[in-house]
Amino acid sequence: MRNRLIAALSTISGAHVFSFLLLLSLLCFASVGAAQSLQHISKRYPAGKNVRLELKNVSGTIIVESWERDEIRVSATLESPAAHFSPRQMGDGLIIDVMGDNRGRGDVGNVNFKIQLPATSSVDLETKRGDIHVTNIRGGAVRAHVTSEGDINLTGISASQVEASNTIGNIFFDGEFARGGNYQFSSTQGDITIRIPGNSAFRLVAAAPTKKIALGQFWNKGFQSLGDGRKVVGDVGDGRSSVSVTNFRGSITFLRR
Amino acid sequence: MNCDLCQELMSDLLDGTLSREDQRQLDTHLEQCRSCAEVRNDLDSILGFCRAHRGEYEAPANERALWLRIRNTLEGENDLVAAKAAPGRSERHAGFWDRLTHRSWQFSFAQLTASVAAIVVVVSLVTVAGLRGIGNLIPKRSTPVERASTPDATRFVLNDRMSQQQQAISMWNARVEMNKARWNPQMRDTFDRNLSVIDQAINDSLRELSKNPHDEVSEEMLNAALNEKLALLKEFSEL
Repeated sequence: MRNRLIAALSTISGAHVFSFLLLLSLLCFASVGAAQSLQHISKRYPAGKNVRLELKNVSGTIIVESWERDEIRVSATLESPAAHFSPRQMGDGLIIDVMGDNRGRGDVGNVNFKIQLPATSSVDLETKRGDIHVTNIRGGAVRAHVTSEGDINLTGISASQVEASNTIGNIFFDGEFARGGNYQFSSTQGDITIRIPGNSAFRLVAAAPTKKIALGQFWNKGFQSLGDGRKVVGDVGDGRSSVSVTNFRGSITFLRR
Repeated sequence: MNCDLCQELMSDLLDGTLSREDQRQLDTHLEQCRSCAEVRNDLDSILGFCRAHRGEYEAPANERALWLRIRNTLEGENDLVAAKAAPGRSERHAGFWDRLTHRSWQFSFAQLTASVAAIVVVVSLVTVAGLRGIGNLIPKRSTPVERASTPDATRFVLNDRMSQQQQAISMWNARVEMNKARWNPQMRDTFDRNLSVIDQAINDSLRELSKNPHDEVSEEMLNAALNEKLALLKEFSEL
């Protein structure tokens, strides 16, 4: 009885061992394949306090963050087929043109960027498709443009020129409007949310054919409602900065910070 | 030598610049002509006074009274001349016109400055008013839909604009179609989906405009949506 039990156990163990080995080998192949399809690049560039970053991507996520160091770190993950790109440093500017460096190649995989740079930098970011996140930038200008679909998140922004535009996707701005600044937000289908301090002063032109324009506490009697509520024009405070928001098929919401 | 020539040569005589022959003839005439001799004596005494005082003269006792007398004398002579020149005019007519034409004014510097400033202000106001008047005569620039006063005309303007935009869109669309085969399936789907969303926005605006041809908000949105479509095509044609 005992011998039969041991024989049975040894038989099951053999099957299990075989299955385990097969599974292990499959996992090894998969991980090697995955490693071959992803490339990681990380480069550092010396920089002053006022850097201008210009990035033109084709497809993929772009994350830009500020840090305390006087240098720029560019980290990128390239999916297969891997795109080429060679950042160029010109004066105080760093230019990364994935679009130009791969012109004519047609099909290139996503390039996901994470860029860290001084807080007082200006950033100009473009991609055909993919999300853009910019955090804690207090330079002169922030521009984020997604040609087709992708969310845009701009948080902790204090710049005199801000432009965010996409076709499909949400836009979220959390920051301050500088005196005399210019701010433009535009989406075809998505929600635009703007979160600013309660004492912000600006001149607003907001248009949304859906009539979903919610100004919250920033609404005042001086506002003019045009086209049966599809467009709103007016001043908040002394109207010292200019804000334009256009959303074709989504909502526009202002929140107090 | 006659008196006219004598008085012409008088200044040269007093300056001592006459030729010997002229001086001899002049002396002969002065011995014979008392009036010319008196003129010579008057001039001689004036020159002597001037040389003695070297340009420093005592002011008359009442300078203002003297000038008033001179002015009254001159005005009296002018009135006399005017009365002789137009004896048949009526008193009233001559009084207004002659006073206007023959009158002279004296202004202080402050008065002159104030007058010039007033003229400048008046001319400026008239010019501004005139320019505004001209501006009102010129028809204001209106939007294409404003120019189209009837729904049919509005539709024509919109169709015209749409056809112009359509030409540009067709051109970029052709470029996109050429390159589209090289894109990966995900990119193709993305492009088609986004184009469809923009087309929906365009159709929304067109639908509003068909209901209300003078709806400026819909017109703005239509223009913006058409520009969005062009931008999407242009940017994807680069791929």
